[in-house]
Amino acid sequence: MTLTARGLTVSATLGGKRIDVLRDLDFAIAPGKVLGLVGESGAGKSMIGRVLARSLPPGFSVTSGRLDFLRPDGESRDLVTVPGPELSRLLGDRIAFIPQEPLTALNPLMTIEAQFGEHLERLGLPASRRRARIVEALAEVRLPAPETLLERFPFQLSGGQCQRVLIAMAFASEPALVVADEPTTALDVSTQATIVQIMRRLQREHVTSLLFITHDLRLAARVCDDILVLYAGEVVERGPARAVSQAPRHPYTRALQAANPPLDGPLTRLVTLPDQMPGLAAFANLQGCRFAPRCPTRDAGCAASSPTLREVAPGHFVRCADACSVAAPAAPAVLRRLEAASSGVPVLVVENVAKRFAGKRDWLGRRSAGVDAVKSASLTVRPGEFVGVVGESGSGKSTLARLIMGLETPTGGRVLVDGQDVTQGGRETRAIRLGALQMVFQDPQSALNPRRPVERLVTQTMEAKGSNASEAQRLERARELLRETGLPPELIDRYPSQLSGGQKQRVNIARALCVTPRLLVADEIVSGLDVSVQAQILNLLLDLRAERGVGLVFISHDLAVVRYLCSRMIVMRHGLVVEEGETEAIFAAPKHAYTRALMAAAPPDDLDRPWPPDAAALAAAEG
Amino acid sequence: MRLSPRARAAWLRCLTDPRVVTGGLLILSIATLGLLAPWIAPHDPQEQDLLATLMPPAWAVGGEARFPFGTDTLGRCIASRLLYGARIALYVSVTAATGAMLLGTLLAILAAYFGGWVDWLISRAVDVWMAFPPVVLALILLVGMGAGVNKVILAIILIDWTRFCRVIRSEALVVMVRDYIAAARLAGFGHRQIMLKEMLPAMIPLVITMMSIEMGIAVIVEAIMSFVGLSVEPDVPAWGVMIADARQTMHQAPWGVILPVGAIFLTVLGFNLLGDGLRRALDARLVLSRAVATP
Repeated sequence: MTLTARGLTVSATLGGKRIDVLRDLDFAIAPGKVLGLVGESGAGKSMIGRVLARSLPPGFSVTSGRLDFLRPDGESRDLVTVPGPELSRLLGDRIAFIPQEPLTALNPLMTIEAQFGEHLERLGLPASRRRARIVEALAEVRLPAPETLLERFPFQLSGGQCQRVLIAMAFASEPALVVADEPTTALDVSTQATIVQIMRRLQREHVTSLLFITHDLRLAARVCDDILVLYAGEVVERGPARAVSQAPRHPYTRALQAANPPLDGPLTRLVTLPDQMPGLAAFANLQGCRFAPRCPTRDAGCAASSPTLREVAPGHFVRCADACSVAAPAAPAVLRRLEAASSGVPVLVVENVAKRFAGKRDWLGRRSAGVDAVKSASLTVRPGEFVGVVGESGSGKSTLARLIMGLETPTGGRVLVDGQDVTQGGRETRAIRLGALQMVFQDPQSALNPRRPVERLVTQTMEAKGSNASEAQRLERARELLRETGLPPELIDRYPSQLSGGQKQRVNIARALCVTPRLLVADEIVSGLDVSVQAQILNLLLDLRAERGVGLVFISHDLAVVRYLCSRMIVMRHGLVVEEGETEAIFAAPKHAYTRALMAAAPPDDLDRPWPPDAAALAAAEG
Repeated sequence: MRLSPRARAAWLRCLTDPRVVTGGLLILSIATLGLLAPWIAPHDPQEQDLLATLMPPAWAVGGEARFPFGTDTLGRCIASRLLYGARIALYVSVTAATGAMLLGTLLAILAAYFGGWVDWLISRAVDVWMAFPPVVLALILLVGMGAGVNKVILAIILIDWTRFCRVIRSEALVVMVRDYIAAARLAGFGHRQIMLKEMLPAMIPLVITMMSIEMGIAVIVEAIMSFVGLSVEPDVPAWGVMIADARQTMHQAPWGVILPVGAIFLTVLGFNLLGDGLRRALDARLVLSRAVATP
């Protein structure tokens, strides 16, 4: 076993109380195997990497257990207690890391050759052989023309290329163990597929053990041999990847699986868990099973005693008293797509809209070349219709949203709301537009003024000029909006910093609903959320349509989510709409090569279908 | 008034910061002494006692209890003059800093909000303005406008608004790209509403911090201007005037210079401690980096 954890417990002292951030963790990674660590934010999955690197935040410490690493000489060392100098020799050499943010992990002031060379120097490679070794390593991660990359700086490479450089660096020392913490989260879907493919191949060729930390159960099922699911610092399920992802036994793993909208097959309403994972401070107050408060199948016993990991099948462990006896919940009703009224004036028509950002003038007044963020995009949304806009980063989809909302003025084309041309701003067109359209922003952290309490956030429009609502009316409206978006009424005087991510996003939606718009424009509103919270928000959007017939332009990079919500979709690439049509039709038979590549890049649910796709298909999507 | 948890935490950080507490107490006591001057000063600050000139402080050899800090060349009570001088110093610092703050913040927010040529114009004005050495600029302004304490205040405002403008503009630019500004626009807010209700509140911590530092600067500038005779009338007790009067007899009676210099020193120290403490307690970046370090 390359790495073995036995009873590893990490604790923090918070407000005088000892809290187990990671409790009693057991696992083992065999040489050449991949172990997946799956959990939502706050589950403690990143703690293991921090224990390895001894970079626990101040106040956190390993309070019991051991983490044994098998050295190449056959001796096993406990990484928790091994002396610092020996640990630093192991790290970077025998144990390598692949970080989450490739762009920030590389020094922006050093060329690729300089950084890589520095790493090789540490490994003791003589200077004369470094350059050749770098080229060889870069070729191994399939970077085209590695010689030309040597003199480049990180900012001249794409995120995916940077990540490949980092993977090449990680594998350069032929380590026994590679720890990858969310290595693809910051990347586009098609890049993710390439990265996973490269990582898997290198890991197999070098017989390296890989610890793959991710929030994505579907991806973990593809990449890993074994999966360990963490909830609130505890392992709730551990077993072979196929068993854990296809037939999970713990109610939490089941919920995780159910919260992921499927890419094919019939759509059913996502089953969601109530609330969200408790925060660190709340861990101390959890009695018995840490999952019990959210568990759909809990009984009186769950809150009283903490269950232990039980083996339910060979190699498959579950921490639940009822793990075997409770069958998987019955499949929920098939989701009926609400068909939009085909008649009537479309709420929104976007005609060949374009946006060119002019270049900066230099001191002689000459303009540098501008950027075409959106070259030409058209879109029609009928009342109550959900339309998806799919594209990867840089496709112009966010600019399209800002053009629709009038936050940017188009440099070409027209925008019509209820048949009236609102392309050019102005007092009247603005009133027409903002009466019918509202926007939900991507990042609630940035979209909610931290100095406003919830009540004043959601009713902000009633503060605008021309609205003379009384305080009592505002309060009444705020209560209504909280009710509609499923927020508990006591949150009304809280501030954004006191809300969880899911609650913030609901406030964000509630604010957009205040003027009772007929169409919401939502820009990547679930991409920052955990899967279980994402499912809650998606269902909320469906409920809003059912209750008030509000339409939606849903901008996302996630095909599964778009398929779940939208009846029609457009696919954007490099500022152009490359495909448009009924969602089901596009999923069944994508016409454009890019759409096909995009679909091939998303890991399918069916583990028997091969993934990642071959390199040619990926190149088509990335290019 | 209902405080947001953020504001409450900021207050708490301020009140537990040793710099803020020390600086605050210093300024508070100086202000109290200045305000109570007519009641606690042992003498009228202009009252001359030509029989008791250049008296040393009460505790020194030859000192008398009726002149606690001694007298100057005209036999005026130094303690009383110091107390009255505090009034001038604080009056100038508060009004000048407020004025510079208002002008600088207004232009900064306008520049950041409208961008384009408005920003260009304001930023270039700041650049040009800052290229003048401040003391020379102050002298030129005062020569042009004539002497007087209110002219000094005006001069400080006209010189130091650039300091506010530059720092607050960069902070406002950070806020401008926040989505909540776009959200406010979509909520139907007008320009003025966005600037006052969404942007300005985010600037307040920085504005408070800069005000405090600016007040310290204003005390020094006023003292310099009094020293060269461009500020108050010669018969008004100001710390700069006291230093100017006492410098001829500095060797016989050093306390005549040391005491007003000490008063200026304590006041400026107070404002600087306060400013530095407030900056540490209110600056989101510093607070954030500490919060990460101690979860």
